[in-house]
Amino acid sequence: MSGASEPSVVVVTGSASGIGAAVARELADRGWVVAGLDRAPSPACTWSAQVDMVDSDAVQQAVHALERELGVVGAAVSAAGYYEMAPITEISTASWTRMLSVHLGGLVNLTRAVLPGMKQRRDGSIVAITSELAIGGGGEDAHYAAAKGAIIGVVRSLAAEVAADDVRVNAVAPGPTDTPLLAPDSPWRDPDYLATLPLRRLTSPDEVALCVAYLVDEGGFCTGEILNPNAGAVI
Amino acid sequence: MSRSSLRGRVALVTGAAQGMGAAHARRLGSDGAVVAVNDRVASPELTALATEIGGGAFPADVSDPDSVEALIDTVRSRLGSLDVLVANHAYMSMAPFLEHDPDDWWKVVDTNLSGTFALIRAAVPVMRAAGGGRIVVIASEWGVTGWPDATAYAASKAGLIALVKTLGRELAPEGIIVNAVAPGVIDTPQLLVDAASAGVPLEDIHALYADAIPLGRLGRPDEISAVVSLLADFRLAAMIGQTVQVNGGTTRSRV
Repeated sequence: MSGASEPSVVVVTGSASGIGAAVARELADRGWVVAGLDRAPSPACTWSAQVDMVDSDAVQQAVHALERELGVVGAAVSAAGYYEMAPITEISTASWTRMLSVHLGGLVNLTRAVLPGMKQRRDGSIVAITSELAIGGGGEDAHYAAAKGAIIGVVRSLAAEVAADDVRVNAVAPGPTDTPLLAPDSPWRDPDYLATLPLRRLTSPDEVALCVAYLVDEGGFCTGEILNPNAGAVI
Repeated sequence: MSRSSLRGRVALVTGAAQGMGAAHARRLGSDGAVVAVNDRVASPELTALATEIGGGAFPADVSDPDSVEALIDTVRSRLGSLDVLVANHAYMSMAPFLEHDPDDWWKVVDTNLSGTFALIRAAVPVMRAAGGGRIVVIASEWGVTGWPDATAYAASKAGLIALVKTLGRELAPEGIIVNAVAPGVIDTPQLLVDAASAGVPLEDIHALYADAIPLGRLGRPDEISAVVSLLADFRLAAMIGQTVQVNGGTTRSRV
């Protein structure tokens, strides 16, 4: 962690597993105090609360609680999410709404909770996990790609809006990543698909975490940008 | 920051006598790499930097393909390998398009684009023999957006972005990972060229640029070096053919 003598607090959502857990480990390794928000317990975090990111009030309360216990939030990483594929005609209104609520709503709820303090202190960094599918699209991914694409719109707009307050907003758009979100029979694990990737393998959660950690820790002149660790899926 | 996987690896940074190149060399050195520093000619600055970080000074004109071959050979024979190439050198010249002397126009392209081509062509066999490598090319925001009176520079940098996309695809299967950084306006001696071109004092150029940057300031060389360090990290292979834009929020677009 650069520059600060006191350890700073970072909030990581989706911290129980996959990319969120890898981000929590990498930032803890760099000296951050990591507060995790997830529906499941977050063993990689110093402090954690079991929260559904669609519940705006619960997110607010959790952030207030962790600020009382750990101190002010210097950075926030929105990694909570899930993945499912469906043809457009089979996406129910409920699953469409749930997809948007968790990914887009989760980022908005997190941002509402942490941004006022960051603006007031004129220092902060927010990183959202989006997806390679938001950049390149994919068959049977309309609801997931729409939710992740909307995140990019929020990130770029918020970056413009709060740059004058010295708050930075960026995203990481991983390719298919080797996490529990990808079922063993997922088409993204098919050897025929992997053979099409320049890297010939899935992206690892630790690689995504390195990109997030750069943005949080050292990306002082970087805002409104999307980093793409995607094994070459979208170049 | 020395968690990077560069301990014991050999890196070459071109255009390292001053500004961003010197910052990249220092950063890779602190990440644990043995860093060879290059610039067009030998200079007290280059020698002092080499003395400071330890890898050695390797002056050579990268716009001359024969010199590039000799440069890579010398680095390999003196330092034992070449694991990381940071193509940072650049020649900058601005003029309205129709007034730009064609010889000078081509000097920009030859140095920035063809010089990097020659460096990568010479470096790849060395990296291939070692089973992998990292290549980081310094492009420019102007290679993404274009800029009035900078056709040669913008074309050369846009060419680098396309070179990186293509080589990213082509070399990743061999473990040679190629990416670029597109810095916005960074506080380096290069700004003197912009000021001279615009016919105004340096501080006016600073203020003019800072006003147009959402973060309200120019970038620092070490803020670009942090991305170079990320892209040189052997723990990260999934970034391939990408151009990371570090510009204070000006562009906010996909490259």
